[in-house]
Amino acid sequence: MGKKILVVDDDPDLVETTSIILKSKKYDVIAAYGGIEGLEKARNEKPDLIVLDVMMPDKDGYSVCKELKADPDLSGIPVLLLTAVVANIPTTRFTQRMGMETEADDFIDKPVEPQVLVERIEALLAKQ
Amino acid sequence: MPDKVKILIIDDEQVMRDGCTRILSRDGWTVITAENGHQGLDEIRRHPSEIDLILLDLMMPGLSGMETLERIREIDSNLLVVVITGHATVESAVEAMKKGAYDFTSKPFTPDQLRLVVRRALERRLLQKETEFLRRERERSLRDIAAEKSKLKTIINCMGDGVLVCDSESCIALTNPAASRMLAMPELQLLGSISSECNLPPELLTTIEKSLNTLDSGYVSISQELCIGNTANLYLRAHTAPVRSDSGEIMGSVTVLQDISYLKELDKMKSDFIAMVAHELRAPIATVEQQLNVILNKMAGEITEKQEQLLRRAKERTKGVLDLIRDLLDLSKIEAGKMVQYKESVSLQEVVSRVVELINIEAAAKKISLEFVSTSATPHINADRNSMEGIFTNLISNAIKYTQEGGSILVRLEDDNSFVKISVTDTGIGIKQEDISRIFDRFYRVKSSETRQIVGTGLGLSIVKSIVDAHLGSIMVESEEGRGTTFTILFPKEVKSAECAVENVLT
Repeated sequence: MGKKILVVDDDPDLVETTSIILKSKKYDVIAAYGGIEGLEKARNEKPDLIVLDVMMPDKDGYSVCKELKADPDLSGIPVLLLTAVVANIPTTRFTQRMGMETEADDFIDKPVEPQVLVERIEALLAKQ
Repeated sequence: MPDKVKILIIDDEQVMRDGCTRILSRDGWTVITAENGHQGLDEIRRHPSEIDLILLDLMMPGLSGMETLERIREIDSNLLVVVITGHATVESAVEAMKKGAYDFTSKPFTPDQLRLVVRRALERRLLQKETEFLRRERERSLRDIAAEKSKLKTIINCMGDGVLVCDSESCIALTNPAASRMLAMPELQLLGSISSECNLPPELLTTIEKSLNTLDSGYVSISQELCIGNTANLYLRAHTAPVRSDSGEIMGSVTVLQDISYLKELDKMKSDFIAMVAHELRAPIATVEQQLNVILNKMAGEITEKQEQLLRRAKERTKGVLDLIRDLLDLSKIEAGKMVQYKESVSLQEVVSRVVELINIEAAAKKISLEFVSTSATPHINADRNSMEGIFTNLISNAIKYTQEGGSILVRLEDDNSFVKISVTDTGIGIKQEDISRIFDRFYRVKSSETRQIVGTGLGLSIVKSIVDAHLGSIMVESEEGRGTTFTILFPKEVKSAECAVENVLT
């Protein structure tokens, strides 16, 4: 059975494309369209990995990640942050710092290349 | 003496008047005569301050010589009078001298005797005039200095920027209303106090001390931002520099304070706007690109070769827009001073070699040799590390873009007096002479058949220049079409004050 991945993003188009990428690699995908819904689905579904967008109107990715990591039931689930912060050298440091503070396990700048996303996910799952 | 010398002879004897006139005129002096005391006084009144010397006969009918002398002294006590005594009575000569006559000569006298006594008197007159001239000059320059001082004081008081001048003991010697308003301290409380005792912001105190202890003899000015008050509603930018005497020793420091609160506010609005643009504009394009990625990876089903070709181009265009947004954000960040806010001691050697290492993959992919040579002994500058990485990444990847396969790029780091010099030389297509002056302009891209295939936003070099400017550096470009291009950047070396030097040892 394929691993279960929760995709959290307020942009339905991104949820769709990310799902397509993951499904092509035979992962089971659960979609959530906001931070609050994401937390709820994480608790109910216990996914093997969470792909989490940073900028969301109801609850941003950093707060969601903090809550996940604070919950002993969920803290073991690897979180891959999707950052929309402009990918240049000065902000990379900022991103990395924010990524560390929120204890996310990895992060990718948007837009994502399908191969990169798949590689990072495989790496995170292999660590488990 | 600039004017012609004028001598007045007052004598009742025609022979004496004529004789003296003849003798004295021969020496080039102007002579006027009077027959008696009253006439003489009239002449003096008629030519005020023109007469240099008066020859006065003491024995005259009517108004006596002695009385005439007294009246002359009443008109102008500076007038030089030489009395002529008829019968060589020493007593009357002495009396006349007591009354203020300068000298005397007794009749009869030879022409030479007359000349001698006149010359002596005129020399005295010359000294008198020079003294007077110098006295006036001195008075005038004192008045000028006073006027200048008052003018300066007014200028300083009217200035919108705050001024704080400390002497070498760091005692506040001069300040203005703007400074006392910005620092929220009455001027009287500031003036004359030791700077460390009057509640100045601690960062500013440190800077003043640093400035007073500057070792470097060059011009050193330290800029910093200060936050006044607990609510942080007042932001100041302070520029502090030492004042030196002729011999180069530090006599004090000058601090100019600018209220930049409104700039801060604008800056915040700008940041908010940028964040909005970043999200609202960039997010949908990023989504489109990701959708294209999925289709191009055949994850949404098979596509024809033609469709794939079109979609690849579409992806290139979205990538172009994303790059443009990124560069625009960089540029507005630099303009807001954000990119160069965190200046620290940075080793250019370290930065450049890291960038070269990272970018070597790109060069190798194009079979371009990329070499880094450093001969600098002290490559440290005071800079924002990220911006430095940014500009060298930009310059070197530009060099790679505009150099054909098999070419070479040389990055060189060397000392140039008080500057660090970094040059990036490529063997690329070069830049046309008419384009050189415009390559640092925003959105300017050289258009030719060779550059058509090269993707770029036209903002890269403009960003590089902004960063270089913000670090008080300079950038130059030399290029020969078809042969290659060299970009040369100069940065001022880190200035070491006594304290800085200690800090550097510690870190």
